[in-house]
Amino acid sequence: MSVSEVSSLLNRDNTFSATLDHNGKVPVEHLEYGYIEKCKDVKHLEKILRVLRSGEEGVYPHLNQFCEDRLKSLDPTSRALRKEQPVATAASLPTEEWSQICEDLQRWQEESKDLEASMLKPSIFHGIGNENVPPVRGTDISVPLGQNPASKAKNKPPKRALPLDYKDWDKYDVDKECEMIDGGESKKDPAAVINSGHVKIRTRVDVTTLTEKEKLLMASREKDKGNEAFRAKGYEEAVAYYTRSLSIVPTVAVFNNRAQAEIKLQRWHRALQDCQRVLELEPLNLKALLRRATVFQHQGSLPLAAEDLRAVLRVEPHNTAAAKHLTEVDKKIREGQPELPIKGRKILIQDIEEDEEEAEEHARPVDPRQPVGGVDSVVSPVERGDMGNAQKKPYGGGRGDGASPHSDASNGSHGHHRRGRGGSWDKHKAAAHESPGPGKAANGTGKRGSTVSEPGAAKGGRPAGVDLDAPCGALPPPLARLKNEGNLLFKNGQFSDALGKYSQAIAGFTESGIDSPEDLCILYSNRAACYLKDGNSQECIQDCSKALELHPFSLKPLLRRATAYDSMERYRQAYADYKTVLQVDNSVQAAHDSVNRITRLLIEQDGPEWREKLPDIPLVPMSAQQHRREEAPTPEVLQARAEKAAQDTARRSELRFTALKQEGNEFVKKGQFQDALGKYTECLKLKPEECTVYTNRALCYLKVEKFAEAKQDCDAALGLEPTNKKAFYRRALANKGLKDYPASSSDLQEVLQQDPGVQEAEKELEEVTALLRQSLASGASPRKKVPITEVDGDQDRSTADSAPRPQEGGAINMQPADAYEFGQSLNAARSRGDAAACADLLSSVDPERLPRLLSNQLDGHVMGFVLEALDEHLLARDPGRVYRLLQSLHIAERFAVVLMLLETAERRRVTQLFEHLSAAQSDDFTKDDVQNLANKYII
Amino acid sequence: MSTPFEKPQIISHIQKSLNYTIFDCKWIPCSAKLVCLGNRARGTGVLQIYEVQGGELKLNREIEKAKPFKCGTFGATSLQQRHLATGDFDGNLHIWDLEAATEPLYSVKAHKEIVNSLDGVGGLGVGDGAPEVVTGSRDGTVKVWDPRQKDTPVANMEPGAGEAKRDCWTVAFGHAFNQQDRCVCAGYDNGDIKLFDLRNMAVRWETNIKNGVCCVEFDRKDIDMNKLVATSLEGTFHVFDMRTQHPTKGFASVLEKGHKSTIWQVRHLPQNRDVFMTAGGAGNLHLWKYDYPAQRSGEDSEGGAVGVAGTVNLLQNVTLSTQPIASLDWSPDKQGLCVCSAFDQSVRVLIVTKLNRV
Repeated sequence: MSVSEVSSLLNRDNTFSATLDHNGKVPVEHLEYGYIEKCKDVKHLEKILRVLRSGEEGVYPHLNQFCEDRLKSLDPTSRALRKEQPVATAASLPTEEWSQICEDLQRWQEESKDLEASMLKPSIFHGIGNENVPPVRGTDISVPLGQNPASKAKNKPPKRALPLDYKDWDKYDVDKECEMIDGGESKKDPAAVINSGHVKIRTRVDVTTLTEKEKLLMASREKDKGNEAFRAKGYEEAVAYYTRSLSIVPTVAVFNNRAQAEIKLQRWHRALQDCQRVLELEPLNLKALLRRATVFQHQGSLPLAAEDLRAVLRVEPHNTAAAKHLTEVDKKIREGQPELPIKGRKILIQDIEEDEEEAEEHARPVDPRQPVGGVDSVVSPVERGDMGNAQKKPYGGGRGDGASPHSDASNGSHGHHRRGRGGSWDKHKAAAHESPGPGKAANGTGKRGSTVSEPGAAKGGRPAGVDLDAPCGALPPPLARLKNEGNLLFKNGQFSDALGKYSQAIAGFTESGIDSPEDLCILYSNRAACYLKDGNSQECIQDCSKALELHPFSLKPLLRRATAYDSMERYRQAYADYKTVLQVDNSVQAAHDSVNRITRLLIEQDGPEWREKLPDIPLVPMSAQQHRREEAPTPEVLQARAEKAAQDTARRSELRFTALKQEGNEFVKKGQFQDALGKYTECLKLKPEECTVYTNRALCYLKVEKFAEAKQDCDAALGLEPTNKKAFYRRALANKGLKDYPASSSDLQEVLQQDPGVQEAEKELEEVTALLRQSLASGASPRKKVPITEVDGDQDRSTADSAPRPQEGGAINMQPADAYEFGQSLNAARSRGDAAACADLLSSVDPERLPRLLSNQLDGHVMGFVLEALDEHLLARDPGRVYRLLQSLHIAERFAVVLMLLETAERRRVTQLFEHLSAAQSDDFTKDDVQNLANKYII
Repeated sequence: MSTPFEKPQIISHIQKSLNYTIFDCKWIPCSAKLVCLGNRARGTGVLQIYEVQGGELKLNREIEKAKPFKCGTFGATSLQQRHLATGDFDGNLHIWDLEAATEPLYSVKAHKEIVNSLDGVGGLGVGDGAPEVVTGSRDGTVKVWDPRQKDTPVANMEPGAGEAKRDCWTVAFGHAFNQQDRCVCAGYDNGDIKLFDLRNMAVRWETNIKNGVCCVEFDRKDIDMNKLVATSLEGTFHVFDMRTQHPTKGFASVLEKGHKSTIWQVRHLPQNRDVFMTAGGAGNLHLWKYDYPAQRSGEDSEGGAVGVAGTVNLLQNVTLSTQPIASLDWSPDKQGLCVCSAFDQSVRVLIVTKLNRV
């Protein structure tokens, strides 16, 4: 009987009764490709593999491999597949990965050295306050090894010496105690013990006796425990551990995680509180915003949820999770049932972060259709810029306006709170996100032209809400209206209606015979988007092709056509289009993803020669390419870029502008002024009317000692903004470099006239005056290298700088009469970083009055500053006063809150202060007093 | 072949040959140092402190004592002090200040015979409550010690008169999530596993896994007990889900056969309680991950709660040596760094990559 006959016989029976012969061994006939391929019995395959591996029936490496592959396909986790492997060494990893590991390890070694050194220095509290440790359990209590419930009673440990704490009574479970007492009857069949100890986990950890480092370690450990519990779906437990972590050191990440756990438990109110806390500490924390949106949605406050989601999309326009969530919320709003909370759980954000660094990973666009199809998912660049600023601005303004972190978190107060965070929020809201005006509807490459041609109109139309008559490029008003209506309908998801509007607009366009290919291109492109959404890929491709005829290498039509081809499974064409898109703009993630996916499909379909079957991929001319910063800008390229910039969308150029500017600023910070110069120059090509860039470039010129150019830039800046302090100052420096001392002096005087507090200017003026005198005396002075003391990479704040600052430079009022004056004096001292002045101020006030003077102005920064002043200046002079001040400080309003939110450095300051204080000698207090006080400060 | 690099890799970073038999090695918390405990050929105990320095192990200090050391722990000391508790061949428990180790800080003749295993809790910010050390010995007893109490243990778990004395091979603390609750788990040479509840001073649960229990460990000491891994002489190990205790069935467990020989040690990753490594008698290391079931408890026929065990997946396995790997310790500070010692008289520092992605 041949081998094949056996196997066919077996297959006909479709049983494996004959899998083993009478010796319990695998029949040799089974060691065959055909049989193995058809065998579905994992156990039997494992046996076959064992025989093959043993070599009893001969060595067949290929058959062996084949059998392994077959087994793997049936059961990838089969134990028979486990192979002993030698341990990997450095050589078995890619070099870069290994060097990264080594570097990481090296860094850790150094860090742990520091850590160890700091550990060796015990805190002053070491060895005291051990009352938290429970007493010794007992002496030599014998526990029998047998599990005999009756013996439990006999061997009860002696009663604990300490009476129950009040906290313990809170956790006293009456039912459980009763059960225990009644336990006698039900001893026969006790219920299962379910360990759900989270109710018994103490939510506060006493860390008074620990050093800062230990606290951090403990806090992160508790956080890890929380994360683990979260992953195991023990949300209650996770909340308990997060709470513990927060009671040691509060951090944003843990608040955020706790919010997520509370969401899982559907405790919306608490989740909301946690989100609020995060947002107070970090106003633009995306995860907190997303989570708050989820909470709002479940509480029925749909508009607030939508607002949060929009805030997320402003920062990260391609956050698909947020976009999807937003459409859902918008739909609910439109359906007119915003009051009804949603039944059931729809939790959007499933992942939990280990660390905040990995935060944004989950938010990358995956669905190529998402960014392609939407007409309006882009954020206009002006808002982006603002957002950057808002992020940087401390939330100082909004702190004291009644929306304190502990105010009752009703919906009304959220709105209020957010409004209080500085005007920028309102601005965004009003600016674009509720208006599908022209700026919003910008899409396709042609749009820039229209916005540029009528910038005033574009800006003016924006805040007016839904403005259907907003002018649109070169379109006559009726057509513009049609287009805007189309955009609005599209945005609302009424694609077929939008389609009609666009079609009308196109018809009207051809009739009126206007010569504006860009606008027609946009109309076609938008109609293509509608077709795409309706699933009419054929029409979509036609429209895209028309749009591309009018305006070749326009991004959106290309992407849409690619998507349409993709959905029709015409992968080759789709591939070509995606590739073209990538040539135009290499940063389109969706295109990258799709190209990868299609490449795989095509290889599967066409084999290794798949490339030969592709249609021609057109070569995109330089002028249409974006995002190519690698090569040094040759004049032609710059020329091309400038041209392109003029035609490109406002969004793109703005984005590029900010990016370039930031890169420039980065270079300045690093000291690479030559590189920064290049970036700023490119910036100015994009936007020649930007004052700050001129001043920044002037700074770079100064640094590389090109004074004439610097002066030119300052002049340009002053032409744009005649009162720009920085420009004056830098022109002064440039003039000084050019040895034009009189001009320099007059510029400096101008600066000082505007703002008498600029000490550098004063210094410079002195120097320049001296030089001026010298040059007048000697006729010519030797050229001196100009020391430039100021490096200001962050020009974005220049507006804030030029705002008038009261008190700055003026004398500080040392005898404040009321809380207002005290606050003024304190702020003045703080803004100058003058701790000595603060110490003077504090020594002049009556300690008893301190809480009243501080009123509700106390925050982390003020506290840190006050403590610094006490520690560094006042303590040496008058420890008694320091003690009394500290004693009254802790009864000030908001003290507890501020204390909880103190940063690490400030906490360290507190510990340090008390260490110093306890070391100081005074009649006013004893060491114990200090200790008691310290306990109130160190939580 | 791109898949192998997606899995965690176990990389041998440093290997150091020693001139004595090493029984235990432990990282010193908050440092790049480790201690090695062992037995010199002349019958004395040796304690060495090494520092990891640029791909080398640099000997920092060597201390020689009269009796060979068997095991050590930092579990019952504060992060500031970092005192090492050791058990030796003569049944002594010592606590040493490694900076000044001429005289032990605490010394007690804990057992009549060798201390096979010890564990500490209540220190290092791990677990609330008093610092305590538990020792298990060949004399069949398990004793809990409080460094604040001289000479006598706080609890003593010993067989009653007439009961057979079994060699206790391993002990571990767990369930120390508040000041009162705390459990000790002990494994014996006959396959018995006993869980002692220190709050009630009673045996809470016992089972037998048929083969000698070489090592037990809770996934974390300082949480409400969650999982317990027990390894056996014959190359199998059990993972018990400790959340739901059925009155008769006890805790649900999953059995996995990983090694072809004795599993000497199991250690959970300090940064992720669901990942653990087992060290085998044939010089191999297996890295596992426990996956929870959809529901961690179900109902038995009478409607009572019964635990449901999850599954264990092998992440990586490597062979390091021909001799058994007797001890293993993850660095509490640096994820993925671990040290192991084998009976080929060498200590190895290993790096496990991609642990944050499992």
